[in-house]
Amino acid sequence: MRRPSLLGALGVMVLLGAGCGIPAVSDVRVDGKGGAVTGAGGFDVRRSEPPTRTAGGSDKEAFLRNFLSAAAGEPDRAYERVKAFVAPEDKPRLQDKKGSEVALNVVRLREAVYTLNSDSTTTVKITVQQIGVLRANGTLAPPVATETEYEFGLRGAALDGGTNDERAGFYILDPPNVLLLSDVALKQYYQEETIYFWSSDRSRLVPDQRYRPVAVPNERRVNEVVKWLVGGPSDWLRPGVVGLPDRTELINNATGANNRWEVNLDMSGDDQNSIDQLITQLAWSLGDLTGELELKIRNNSQPVQDLNERRNPQQLYPNAQSPQRFGVYDGAIHPLDFDGEPSGTVPLAPEANRNIISADLALARDQRVLAAMVVNGSSNGRYRLAVGTAVAPVSVISRSGTEYSSMSRPVWLRTADARAGRGLVVADGQLYRFDEAARMYPVPLNLPTSDVTAVAAALDGQRVALIAGGKLYVAVVNLDGGGVSIGPPRQLATSLTGLTAVDWGREDRLVVAGSARQQAIYEISVDGAVETPLRTDVGAKVNHLTAYPTNRVVRVPSGAYMYEANGVAYRSSPFERIEPDRVRDIAPVPAGVRPSNPSAPFFLY
Amino acid sequence: MSGRVARVVARVHQTWRRSLQVRVVTITLVASSLLVGGFAFLIADKITTILLDSARSDVRQRVTSGASYAAKQVSLYGQPQEAQLQETIDGTVNYLAGGDPQQTSGVVVAITADDYPTEIQTRTAPSANVQLLISPELRAAVADGKVASQIRTGRLTGKSTKYLVYGSPVPTSFGQIELYYLVPLTRQDVTAADARATVVATGVALVILLGLLAALVTRLVVNPVRVAARTAQRLSAGLLDQRMVVNGEDDLALLAASFNQMATNLQRQILRLEEMSRLQRRFTSDVSHELRTPLTTVRMAADLIFAERDEFDPAVARSAELLQAELDRFEELLTDLLEISRFDAGFAMLDSEPTDLVPVVHRVVDRLAGLAERVGVPIELDLPGAPVIAEVDPRRVERVLRNLVGNAVEHGEARPVLITLGVDETAVAITVRDRGVGLKAGEEKLVFNRFWRADPSRARQTGGTGLGLSISLEDARLHGGWLEAWGAPGQGAQFRLTLPARAGDRLTTSPLRLVPADAALPFGGPRDGGPLAIGPGTGGALAIGPAPTGDGQRAEVRS
Repeated sequence: MRRPSLLGALGVMVLLGAGCGIPAVSDVRVDGKGGAVTGAGGFDVRRSEPPTRTAGGSDKEAFLRNFLSAAAGEPDRAYERVKAFVAPEDKPRLQDKKGSEVALNVVRLREAVYTLNSDSTTTVKITVQQIGVLRANGTLAPPVATETEYEFGLRGAALDGGTNDERAGFYILDPPNVLLLSDVALKQYYQEETIYFWSSDRSRLVPDQRYRPVAVPNERRVNEVVKWLVGGPSDWLRPGVVGLPDRTELINNATGANNRWEVNLDMSGDDQNSIDQLITQLAWSLGDLTGELELKIRNNSQPVQDLNERRNPQQLYPNAQSPQRFGVYDGAIHPLDFDGEPSGTVPLAPEANRNIISADLALARDQRVLAAMVVNGSSNGRYRLAVGTAVAPVSVISRSGTEYSSMSRPVWLRTADARAGRGLVVADGQLYRFDEAARMYPVPLNLPTSDVTAVAAALDGQRVALIAGGKLYVAVVNLDGGGVSIGPPRQLATSLTGLTAVDWGREDRLVVAGSARQQAIYEISVDGAVETPLRTDVGAKVNHLTAYPTNRVVRVPSGAYMYEANGVAYRSSPFERIEPDRVRDIAPVPAGVRPSNPSAPFFLY
Repeated sequence: MSGRVARVVARVHQTWRRSLQVRVVTITLVASSLLVGGFAFLIADKITTILLDSARSDVRQRVTSGASYAAKQVSLYGQPQEAQLQETIDGTVNYLAGGDPQQTSGVVVAITADDYPTEIQTRTAPSANVQLLISPELRAAVADGKVASQIRTGRLTGKSTKYLVYGSPVPTSFGQIELYYLVPLTRQDVTAADARATVVATGVALVILLGLLAALVTRLVVNPVRVAARTAQRLSAGLLDQRMVVNGEDDLALLAASFNQMATNLQRQILRLEEMSRLQRRFTSDVSHELRTPLTTVRMAADLIFAERDEFDPAVARSAELLQAELDRFEELLTDLLEISRFDAGFAMLDSEPTDLVPVVHRVVDRLAGLAERVGVPIELDLPGAPVIAEVDPRRVERVLRNLVGNAVEHGEARPVLITLGVDETAVAITVRDRGVGLKAGEEKLVFNRFWRADPSRARQTGGTGLGLSISLEDARLHGGWLEAWGAPGQGAQFRLTLPARAGDRLTTSPLRLVPADAALPFGGPRDGGPLAIGPGTGGALAIGPAPTGDGQRAEVRS
């Protein structure tokens, strides 16, 4: 008789079991529209891609030019692009490399010789100068390859069965087993970017040069820059700068739109100071990008920063005044007057302003004037270093204990803080550092030659350019612990020989004087890849060269440099000889006496 | 097997009909089961819905933010074949899955590109084959640019799990890719199951409790009723002093008290009636006895006068004859009254002995031959040749027969009276048939009443005291036999006495028919000896009537 109730209870159980659990399979439930496709309008990739194989038509020179440009662009498909130029049967000879191993040998094409062969192919022999290796991370490293010649074949593409069409172009036979990129293509298909790393004492930002393929859309610029920063500085800068903490990784891509950028980093060490420095570093490394930056450290958002507002109080270089020109006239420093330019007074007491051969004056952070001068020694042809530091006018001068038979223009290493000034000077082919008391200490250099002739310090005080044995080097300076040590110098490939003088013309440019066919002054990028002749008709050997490094803080006067050749001083922009009447505060020259020439001009800034 | 089932069903049915408690408890259980079940279903369904909804909105939020993150990440690439796009998708999937592939939440994030199957590979984090879990319908909905979800069951990591699959399109500059979140619903499932189990347990407990409660309440009500029923049964069986126990002051106590009151009243009434009946019988008996003594004296005097009647003048002599005759009737009446009172008092005793009934019949006929001759009624006998031996009281049987034959002769209307004796293994029967005026319908029972007269205006001239048939009926009953009457107006009457062959046996049939074979059937009846026709009648009724004549003496069955 319990059956009906039993059945009822059973029914309820079944109902509950089947009716109200989470179903094993449900219908598709649509919640509404998702985001719409944005469309491919913003991307014009073809614009910046290097030309294809057939773009040059039947012009062999154009084909070679295009071949030397083919590798430009995103490194992932560099081999693909180059292989498009290679004859199908020879494609296996070019062995693919992937990812970070992709490296482009940047060469400067000097000469190309085309020899027609009997089998209607052409043998091409090109003579090149190895400039460097463009790596996937955008750095141009010193060259690895030593070849100065490459030889390969050319054949018409139409030969393999097609119509004999002029537009079919050529194929490369027996290609070199490296990717070649001409310096022209580097200039054309890459955008130079300057990113910054903190110096090892974390006091200032040191520029580092990178190349970004223009094929990479602008949207990815932030991403690329952050990746470079994560990847660390160029090799030659490593001794003097610090990268991001170890094992720092970019989490996915840095993204952004509508002037708002998001960077998500997996980074150890999360004290606010280093994060703050990182944001400053990012702000400067992103160049003139405007908008807001949202930095996330392991998904923890930092306060959003406006890039401009971050850059303004955190200037790269503290002294932002326009430079004043000075020159040495009759053993004393005098201001040089030019129209439209500020000129000051000599910050030296008259008793100290004597017997000067050349000088470097610098404004330190605390309004002091750092003065380093090469002065005549006890006898003719002997020189001493004289150093005085004080708020202008400087009257107390220390002199070096030793006299040298030759001494280059001294340079101050500018610091961002009020540390005691330190400088570098070359004396008797040896690099010395000196302090405010004019004590000189030799600085060891890891160079094949000991014949150093010139030294120049960058505006950041962390990099120097050296000329040793007529060759150009750059090196990083490490100011840790009160001393000055120079990192391994990196030689730059230039087409000039017999270099004599160097100074920094920009953050990433050097102004050098040397000999092309005749004496010339070139502007060379800090990695040697870009070379721009400034003057090619100097005539005499330049023995003194100073430049005011333009930078992103002070933009005028652009490209100002002054040099002395054969005892005559010149200035640039406009280029002219510095006449004696430009020299202020000199006694009038009696009539009939040939006036002295101003020499060793320099900038005070 | 089916027999067993049928037995069980029959027993269940019987129990259902007999037990009020079972009915009440069953109805309570079924009704409360339905009610509680319905509520439990609603509650469990609600809980599941809430759980699912919260999971849905949670995942939807994740998938929306995930899709916008993925869109930002992928927006850097303008073509699906860019090499870093795949890396970006990998990184995005890992990031959205929580960055740590070892994470244990079980959420699987997948990015597929149905539009670019060759350029972009499907990526999942943690690595799993999600193709089976993403149904083509969901795929189609997401490919259509919709955010859509579906619950699917599948096996991604070990055991089969229910997944909430949520898909969203991710817009890119080159087209669309799809982001899927596969969130295991294990926690929700367990919670829902817990809630369900709790609800079911509560419901079952509630139902059982209600059943017990119903059983208890019914028992409280039914038990006194049962006691009352038992008591009433005992009362009706004659145990008049049975009473119910009265407990408390409630309705049931009132019932018991009223019942007891009723029983007491009934008992008193019955005892009073019994006493009255007893007094009445005693009175009859006593009156009869008391009348006998003076009657004897009167009889002796009357006999003397009657003997000397010739010496009186004729008028006196006639009075003496009348006196003698009325005294005979009076004596007869007294004898019958005494006999009746003996029956009423239960003093009648059966003196059974094996008796041959044939001589008994002859004796009765012989004694009534005079009367029959006087009224001109011939008496016919239909007796078996062999002796008919039965264990009966011959004196009483003879009295019964005398009564029946006397009545038949008296009402015979000068037509023959037939006496038939029948016998079989268990019983003997005697029928007495006359062809007088007969009995009207309903009079078959009345004839056995005391002092009953068919025509009250008719003077009681001939013999009978009016008690004969009553005494005969009592005699037959004393034997455990039957005395029945049949009669029809104009066809006469037939009385049948059936007695068991052995004293104390129970009668089941009689060897002779009560209704004589020549009696006319009601509604005309069939032609004598003719076949009956049974067939469809008017109005769908079954018609039975005489078969049409003329086609011989044969029965025919037609359908």
